[in-house]
Amino acid sequence: MNQGRNLVWSKRLHWEKYLRPQSIPETLELLEESGGDARIIAGGTDLIPQIRNKEKAPKVLVDITRIPGLNEIKLEDGLIKLGALVTHSQVAESPLIREKALALSEGASLLGSPQIRNVGTVVGNVVNGQPGADTSIPLLALDAGVKVVSKKGERRISLLEFFIDTGRTAVDSNREMVTEVSFPALTENETSVSLRVARRKALALPILTLSVVLSADLKKKAFRYARIALGPVAPVPFRAQGAEKLLASALITDGIIKKTAQKAAQESNPRTSLLRGSEEYRRAIIANLAERGIRRGIERLEGKHV
Amino acid sequence: MSKEKIQIEVNGKIVTVEVEPSDLLVDVLRENLGLTGTKAGCREGECGACSVILNGKVVASCLIPALKADRGKITTIEGLEKDGELHPLQKAFVEMGAIQCGFCTPGMLLSAKNLLDQNPHPTLEEVKTAISGVLCRCTGYQKIIHAIHAASETIRN
Repeated sequence: MNQGRNLVWSKRLHWEKYLRPQSIPETLELLEESGGDARIIAGGTDLIPQIRNKEKAPKVLVDITRIPGLNEIKLEDGLIKLGALVTHSQVAESPLIREKALALSEGASLLGSPQIRNVGTVVGNVVNGQPGADTSIPLLALDAGVKVVSKKGERRISLLEFFIDTGRTAVDSNREMVTEVSFPALTENETSVSLRVARRKALALPILTLSVVLSADLKKKAFRYARIALGPVAPVPFRAQGAEKLLASALITDGIIKKTAQKAAQESNPRTSLLRGSEEYRRAIIANLAERGIRRGIERLEGKHV
Repeated sequence: MSKEKIQIEVNGKIVTVEVEPSDLLVDVLRENLGLTGTKAGCREGECGACSVILNGKVVASCLIPALKADRGKITTIEGLEKDGELHPLQKAFVEMGAIQCGFCTPGMLLSAKNLLDQNPHPTLEEVKTAISGVLCRCTGYQKIIHAIHAASETIRN
């Protein structure tokens, strides 16, 4: 509908004010004063292109990158917490994330390019609400939630309930701010894997991304549980819960792995896209990736560095 | 719209610039400061021609509002040579034919410098990852990758 408008390209972008609050309360105050005309900017790697493409036209940008304390990765009471300013590069390089949430490290290191990873934030990637976002998929598999703060107080929302539609989340950008994303650190019998298929290795939208979190008892040769997240195969980041159920407490066999992978492909709804390929092709890829992801997870539980 | 002053350190020199709230760093560098070595290509963070090093990290200056860069330390392509002598990376690019049209070259060189600053002895794979944010439509990348690797050896010796 607005394609014609998008053809009118101008070198300059336009917004009226660029504000740099020093605290979360000040940020919430500025959002309220702006009455819906403001958007928060952290890394800006999604927002600036959206403004250029006229998908968004905020009059006020509220830059939160000067707020102290939001750029930390912490492990507290078994929960890994990423502040709103933690970048993809920080996550990709973090030994803690590599040890306790390898799938997220893998997702973050495959996103965009160094230029994007160095400024783009994980929380921004999640809040942007894209169904194939490279960090949303591992975070969904890791059972993450976000902390949403407003003047009324704060609430934690599981990512299972956070994503509402493509580009839409449960956060009200006119008066709320996501200050943190957190998830349980994986323990000894748990592991995680992210895999990505794209046209090229860098700066390419994913044809498909998959993250798996697995727990198994190798002595009993049995799975405990699995969480499988996929994108973009639905309007929002998708959990293949039917497939997960098949693996729960099942014996580790080739048959069950293949069956689970097929189930993940069946219950997903990938669309034919000029950018990403046909539905049939992408469904075949889902089964393939799911099988590889589960097998790699088992290898990791066996202590192999794969 | 009211202009605001920002203070940035560009290639070792502290400068104060008056900018509009919606000015982008790439335009301030090119138009206010005359540093046209930084190229504006796609303007959406895809091509990497506008790459500069901001506070020790390579970034796409077309995605950075100028006010975000306030108080920041910036290296552009003009800051690579020292006392009239080219940086070893620049020399290697010239000697090994890693330049054709030249439009991507500043972004390639700054991506490479940022890599070598953090990792002086990269593998070829690490070099490829480091320049993955800059598109080159002429060279086919091989000569660029080899030039960066050669420069890392020169610096080591």
